[in-house]
This record gives sequence, C-alpha cells and structure tokens, in this order.
Amino acid sequence: MNRPGSRDRNGVSRRKFLAMASAAGVLPIVLEACSSSSSTTGTSTASGPTGTIEFWDGEVGTGQLNTEAKALTEAWKYGKLTGSYDLLTGNIYEVIEAALAANKGPAVAGGYAYQAFQFADQGDIHYADNVVATMQSNGQYADYLPGLFTPLKTSKGYVGIPWGVDTRALWYNKALLAKAGAAVPTDWPSFLAAAKALKKIGVYGYVTAAASSNSAYGTHTLASFMINNGGGMFDEAGNVDCLYDRNVEAIEFLLELVQGGYVDPGSVSYIDTDVYSELKAGRAGMALANPTIPQECGTDPVTGDLVVMSPLSGPHGDKGTIQYLKNYQMYTRTPSIAGSEDFLLWWNQQFVGAKGFYAQGITAAVPIRKSAIALPQVQANPQLVKIINEWVPVAKAESARSPVIFSGLATVDNGTAMVQCIQSILGGKVTAKDALTTLQSGIQNYGISYKA
Amino acid sequence: MASTKTGPSNVLTGLARARKGVGLGGRSEHKPRPPRRYSNRVITLTLLVFPSVFLVVLIYGYPAVGAVIQSLHNGNLVQTGPYVALQNYWTDFHNPVFWHAVRFTVVYCVVGVFGSWVVGLGLALLLRKRMHARSFFKTLLLLPWVVPVVVTATGWNYLVATPSSPVPHLAQDLGFGQLLFLDSPGLAEFIVCVYKIWLSFPFMMLMASAALAGVEEHLYEAARVDGAGAWQLFRRITLPLIARSTYISWILMFIFCIGDFQSIYLLTGGGPVSSTNTLVVLSYQTVFGDFQTGPGVAIGIIMLLVSVLVSVVLFRRIKKVAIS
Repeated sequence: MNRPGSRDRNGVSRRKFLAMASAAGVLPIVLEACSSSSSTTGTSTASGPTGTIEFWDGEVGTGQLNTEAKALTEAWKYGKLTGSYDLLTGNIYEVIEAALAANKGPAVAGGYAYQAFQFADQGDIHYADNVVATMQSNGQYADYLPGLFTPLKTSKGYVGIPWGVDTRALWYNKALLAKAGAAVPTDWPSFLAAAKALKKIGVYGYVTAAASSNSAYGTHTLASFMINNGGGMFDEAGNVDCLYDRNVEAIEFLLELVQGGYVDPGSVSYIDTDVYSELKAGRAGMALANPTIPQECGTDPVTGDLVVMSPLSGPHGDKGTIQYLKNYQMYTRTPSIAGSEDFLLWWNQQFVGAKGFYAQGITAAVPIRKSAIALPQVQANPQLVKIINEWVPVAKAESARSPVIFSGLATVDNGTAMVQCIQSILGGKVTAKDALTTLQSGIQNYGISYKA
Repeated sequence: MASTKTGPSNVLTGLARARKGVGLGGRSEHKPRPPRRYSNRVITLTLLVFPSVFLVVLIYGYPAVGAVIQSLHNGNLVQTGPYVALQNYWTDFHNPVFWHAVRFTVVYCVVGVFGSWVVGLGLALLLRKRMHARSFFKTLLLLPWVVPVVVTATGWNYLVATPSSPVPHLAQDLGFGQLLFLDSPGLAEFIVCVYKIWLSFPFMMLMASAALAGVEEHLYEAARVDGAGAWQLFRRITLPLIARSTYISWILMFIFCIGDFQSIYLLTGGGPVSSTNTLVVLSYQTVFGDFQTGPGVAIGIIMLLVSVLVSVVLFRRIKKVAIS
C-alpha cells in the first residue's frame, strides 16, 4: 500500500503522479483554447490560403433547392480553398450571434435582411465594396432592378449584396370571395366589405399569425398596414415615431377588423404554418403572406384559388407594404478575404443569375435580376409577376418612413415589442394609441440609434 | 501489525491512531518529523480534489463570473461593451414587463411546486394501497415525466392552441362557447400552470412514494387504537414523517420551476402579450430577441440570487426537521 509521499518501484511519488495527471488533464484544454482561433478558419501557406469557405445559407427552399445548393457549393474551388454549405434554420440572428460569440461562424452567409447591418456594427462584416466594383465592371450590376444596392451601402461600405426581395402581399381565395359575392378589395373600405361578406358565409375575412415564436405574419401585418397608409415606425430621420397619425389610423382599421369578428381569433396564437392551414381549409379568405403561399398551401399559383390582389389604396391614397431586401454578406472570420469575395461573386452568378435556380424552377423567391425575371419559368407564374410589377415598387423596409436601413432594425425585427403590439391588437381590447404607445416605448427601450 | 512501542508516553490507542491517520501500515510514530506548514496528507488530498474543483470552476464558476461581468456592461454576446455598473439592473427594475414576469414566475413556482405536490402525494397515497395493476398505473403515471418536454408540449399545443384544436372544439360542443386557451392572457396562464402540474406530479409522486415507504404501519395502527381518524393520521403522522423528503422535493421542484424554460417557450413562447413570461423566458427573449445582453443577463443573475435564497431557507427548514 502506497503512503503519502512514498515512492513506487519506478521512483515516482504519488504526489508527482497526481501533479502529472492533473497537468495531463488541463493541458489539452489549454492547448485547445490556444488553438481554437486558428483551427477553425484555415491557414495561410506559402502556396496560398488553405481551408474552407463556410457558406451558411438562409434560404430554406425546397429540399431540391438545398440539395442542389450544397452540391454547387462543394464544387467551388479557389486555389486550395474549398466551399462548404450549411442551411440556417431557426432564428438566424441567434444562430449567427451565438456562433460569432463562440469564435465560430460563416465566411459568407445569407439570412435575414438586417443581420448584415447588425453584425457590421459589431465589426464582424467584411464590406463588399470590391465585390460590387467587380459586378459593376463585369455587367452583373446592370442586370439588377434599380435602387437595390443603395440601401445596403453604409458610410463604411456595402454590408452585402442583394439577391432577392421578400415582399409581403395580400392574398385572397377567389372561390370564397365569389361565393360570398364580394368584389376583390382595392382599398380599405372594400377590404372591410369583403371581410364582412366572408363572415356571412362562415369564413373569417382575415387570418394572420402572432404567436410569440415561429410567427412573422402578425408583425408583418402591423408594419404593412402602417406603411400602406404612408406611415411607419420611424420618422424620416430614423427616430422612433410610432404614434404618427397615419399609424394610428392604420391600427384603428385593424382594430375595426378584429372587433367586428372578421379576423380569425386564433391568430393571436397561430404560427405561420397555421395561416396556411386555415387558408387551405377555407376557414379564412384573405391573408398577408409571402410570395410562395400557393406552394405552401399545396395549390397551383396559376390555376389555384389563392390569388394575389393589387396593393390596397389607403385612406389618403397611399400604397405600400413591408419588404425585406435579402442579401449575402461576408464575415471577417474567413481563411481568405479574397476567397470569400470570389465565392460570393461565383455563388451570386450561379444562384441568382439566369442560369441558376430560377431556371431550374426550384426557388420561388422574388427575383431582382432582369435576366431572371425574364425567364419563362418566372413569367409563367402570374402571382409572382404581379408581385414584381405591383407590390415590389411600393414596398418599404421596416425603417419606413426613413428611407435608410440601419442596424437597429435587426432588433426591431427580431424583438418582442412588435409581437406584443400585434398580440394586443388581435386581442381587440386596446385602443390604437395605447397599442402604439407600448410599441413606441418597447422600441425605445432597445436603445437603438439610427446609423447611416 | 501492532505498534512496537510500549512506553506509556508513546502508546496510542487504536482510536487515537485512527484520529491521527496512522494505520497498520502507518508511519512509525517514534520518529517525529519537524512540523511542516502543509503536511503530505493535506497536499495529497488537495491534489486529489483539484480535478473536481477545477471542473466545477470551469463549468459553473467561469460562466457565472462571465455572466456577472456581462450584467455590469452594455455589450452584446460578442463584445463585452462599456462598463455601466448597475444600470442594467436599474433598467430591468423599471420595466413593467419584468415585474409581470416576476409575478408570473412566483405564480408558476407556487402552483408548480404545491400543485404537483398535492397531486403527487395524493396519487402516492392512493397507490400505496393494494390494488390490481398497481405497477401498470405507476408506470403510466410516470409518463409525463419520462417523455421529453418537447413532445408533451407539442402534444398540448395540438390539443389547445387553435380554435379547431380538440379541447376548444369539445368545449364549444359542450356549450362553453369558443374558448381560445392560448389567445387570452388569463387562460394562457391557467393552461401553462396546469401543464406544469401535469408535467411535474410524477416526480412528486415518486418522492412521496419513497418517503411513505419508510413510515411504519404500526404507527398508524397505534393511532387508530387511540381513536385517530383518517385526517388526523395524515396530519399528525404521515405529514411529519415525510416532512424531510417533502422539503427536499419542494426545493428540487422550485429549482425545476424557476429554471423551466422549455415548457413555457414551447407552449406559448411567453405570450400572449407577455402574459406567460417567466424570468427565464424573459431573460432569453431579452438577450436573443431584443439583443439587450446586459439587462437579459442581469435577469439571470437576479434569478440565481433568488434561487439561492429560497434554497437556503428551505435547507434550514430541513435541518430543523432533522433536529426535531
């Protein structure tokens, strides 16, 4: 039996053994901590950088889209650099924020509209000025619809490059409207009249989704009706201004819909897929939704009953809706800046261009490149064409009435203030001013400031 | 092997030897070593404990210290940001949503602890009696605890979430009108509490069953001979004899409840209009939803302090029970 301080046959004391064992246990952790920054991003050798350009795609498409995208990414080569593809799911803000906090994360990513601004503020974005300059010189830039690069330009440079828009449009079930004897709405009074007519045949006029998680249509409804009335949560200078008169009018209209019993009362706790279920089942006749709703509901965008209406005219003649400018951005955590830029240019050409996934008919996102819009696959979808022609030109970001997008919008978009506001409106027991006062203070509590 | 020393001053009894840590193979006591500040024994024990202490510090201490630091800064998950002292706590204390979350956390914990305890103890008493298929029922009753929360929460969501869900449908058919369980703040709070009781009673049942197994039957027999009724048996014998186990189960359930994120987040996400937000859900939403890392982490620190305080109070109570 060994005693404290005694030596075994090899002449190693127990104390020494314990010290060595402890050191052996700690050493790998220390080594891992020291090496974590280099092992995940690749290295630079005399013959050029090696490693992997991690592309985190935020576009959840059909299974085929993501399979093709993965194969495409893995086929990319730049010197000794290779590409890897991961599909972002869940709350993308959270995923990337948490990854960056852990010194992980993508070299190039897609995802939400405002994340590039948010992470640029944190110093994690590599500005895309070189990429934009290359696109201007090789003709790609001219292929885009006008005005889409400007919102992505900050005082430090382009936070990303646009690849599509996610526009919220109002949809209706033409069979139900015909059954109810209602005309297709063109303005707020006719929208209310259609909702009333639908109620008479036992169908809710409007449905949305405002659950505290996994829902977006509720907050989109809130922003969209404000923008439709020439309002918005911010003033022209980018200051929070929820109590603007036009916003009050818009919320009063929403409350009129709710209190009249024309809005599906389950909307408060619905998630987005519940909207599809209610529309599909014919329990609701109209909804604000994304351009792919026919596919989500399993109907044909050409022959199906779900049809997109023209933008409504507000009481003062304004038109508008909420829109998210989808973009790709590059992160500073990369094995090679040049590699990231090359990948982004290459991917953008492959995916967004006419030869990309639009041509294959495996993405239904709204295209913003003229060559893609001209494709027969796009032109064959009358709903998509209507959105491109009528809704995209009048659509605005969540920064409306400010024309400039800024990083604080990521917080507004992801935060709880808008969700709580629309939930209280759908509950029908608040006044418009109370709801907007709560929204105003909620956004002010974020402490966000406008940054050009 | 006995000690070879026989002189009266050097003779140690077995107990004294044991106290000194000198066993059969121990160091000879007739060679007194010069006093050292740290004996080999202390150093050895310290080294033996070191790996565990290191892991505890690494797993618990490091994040806790990091969280305290973050709660005193105005930063985000990537950057610590500037030092703001107690500003984040001040922000939380002046936020009405925080105080609503405090209120509902208290309700949730009280209902979760005592509701599940009442149901669990009742079922434990019931299952103590000889009955057919007792094991089957015991197993069946454990299911809410055994099945992953994500499954049960999704199941409950399916049952109550929308107007076309089975329970609201049934309620309407029975003439209760259109009950939207997760759309009205009051009903949503009620459903979340009921769900928590349903989820937690098997644990309380297990704890109570184990405690009841240690209560001797002859105590009841003696009390019955003295004319005690069923309530008196329960009040004067059962409850005092399972008190220690009960306090422990309360502490554990309180810790489960105050830190229960997934049940609420999966069922209601804290809504509608923050009505079912507990502090842990609010902390998550503040950090990851509103990107207000400092105030969000500060909520976590407040929760930690409250949990420690309540646990200490209940542990003291356990000591008193043990002494009495």
